[in-house]
Amino acid sequence: MWQEKLRIKKNNSIHGLYPFTKMWITFLYCVCAMVLSTITINGYPVYMMVSFLIIPVLAAATGVLKKISGVMKSIAIISLFIVLLQGILIKSDLILYSLNVFNLFNINFYTDSLQYGLVLAFSVLNMGCMVAWFFGATDNKELINAFEKRGMGPKASYVLLSTLQMIGVLQKSAKTIMSAQQARGVETEGNVFVRSKAFIPSMIPLILGSITNTEERVLTLESKGFLVKGEKTRLFDVKPNGKEPIAMTITIVYVAAIIIWRVLLWVL
Amino acid sequence: MKEKKYSIKKDFTLLALLLIPIAVAINFAGGQLASLLKLPLYLDTIGTIFVAMLCGPWVGGLAGLITNLVLGIANPIFIPFAIVNVTVGLVTGYLARKGMFANWWKWIISMVLMALASIITAAPIVVIMFGGITSSGTSLITATLMATGAGIWGAVISTELVFTVIDRIISFGITFLILRVVPERTLIKFSIGEAYIKTKKDAEPAKEVTEADEDVDNL
Repeated sequence: MWQEKLRIKKNNSIHGLYPFTKMWITFLYCVCAMVLSTITINGYPVYMMVSFLIIPVLAAATGVLKKISGVMKSIAIISLFIVLLQGILIKSDLILYSLNVFNLFNINFYTDSLQYGLVLAFSVLNMGCMVAWFFGATDNKELINAFEKRGMGPKASYVLLSTLQMIGVLQKSAKTIMSAQQARGVETEGNVFVRSKAFIPSMIPLILGSITNTEERVLTLESKGFLVKGEKTRLFDVKPNGKEPIAMTITIVYVAAIIIWRVLLWVL
Repeated sequence: MKEKKYSIKKDFTLLALLLIPIAVAINFAGGQLASLLKLPLYLDTIGTIFVAMLCGPWVGGLAGLITNLVLGIANPIFIPFAIVNVTVGLVTGYLARKGMFANWWKWIISMVLMALASIITAAPIVVIMFGGITSSGTSLITATLMATGAGIWGAVISTELVFTVIDRIISFGITFLILRVVPERTLIKFSIGEAYIKTKKDAEPAKEVTEADEDVDNL
């Protein structure tokens, strides 16, 4: 279920960047997307829409495109709904396009709302997918190790890491408990009320069981010297791969170019 | 009864720290069970509520924050909603310290306060950041309301109101049932745990004695 990784080897040089470098790239990209959303052609945020194309390219270059494509798809669906909801249901003065459905009624796309909807949808899309790229390219363990080196306490890193492990464990036991209760005759199918009732006998054993386990885990950790003050040894260590200055330079040039462009448009 | 003093540092005992991963995992499992049973609710704040009721607002808030950050690893849409989950933890924790879970009408007041706090924090995120759409099926109801002429704020708030209240009733009901069956020797280890022991003693005063006797026998 959970396998301890002591070494993470990455041959791809973008993939192997230090976690904080990737974090800066993600943050600066999101800032750029916000700045670009204010530069419009006829009211449409065309540049922000074009800049989104960077993400699939970056993900492909990192080698995580396949890994994050599912997340990107679900974010894209939400963005599509945002555009539709805003464009059709929020009424404004100008009608851009009127779609006639079987001569029965018209579906109107309002210009102003559609433009606002596009800004919202592409902000969600840009930032969501960039964060998805970050987590796709960074192992949780690397990230937490990098934070620990910056001075995050071992207690905090233990909480974060064990959270990530615990989720898998509890989800598995939730399924086990539910099938056990099914075998004992708890109905899990039927109308909403029947199904809601089945929720309770599955949830309570799960929570009670995990609390009892926690008490034991406290004893284990205390006996292993978790609370001892002093230098802690680590089995896992994350190191920069040497390409960080290049990556940061490219990012900063990109950010600077966009900000200068924005300022020039204001001044001129 | 003597007044208990609280401090943020003292809140985070080792037991509280180890309960945070459990709370987050319970939030996950609750959401997963809700979707397995095809319920139109999230039910993903049970862990936050539970840990806030036992360990206070700061532990609860942190559990809420971590839940949404971890959810965000899989789908970044959840990250802005961290504010809602943190608020759930903070409000529940403070209510628990003030003894607002002592009897049934206090439970109902607390539940209403909690639902209000959730809506006040959730609605602006849904409207301003996502233009009225979230990843759940309730967005369809919002869209239908808007199609019938309701404004975006009205539509989002009324949809959230109905589903949040039902969600909180179920979450609180489950937490209540659990707190009744958690053994007293476990409850006493949590900073607010004592409060729930008292209500249990009133209900069944004889039981504790027999348990203590058993312990002596075992020794």
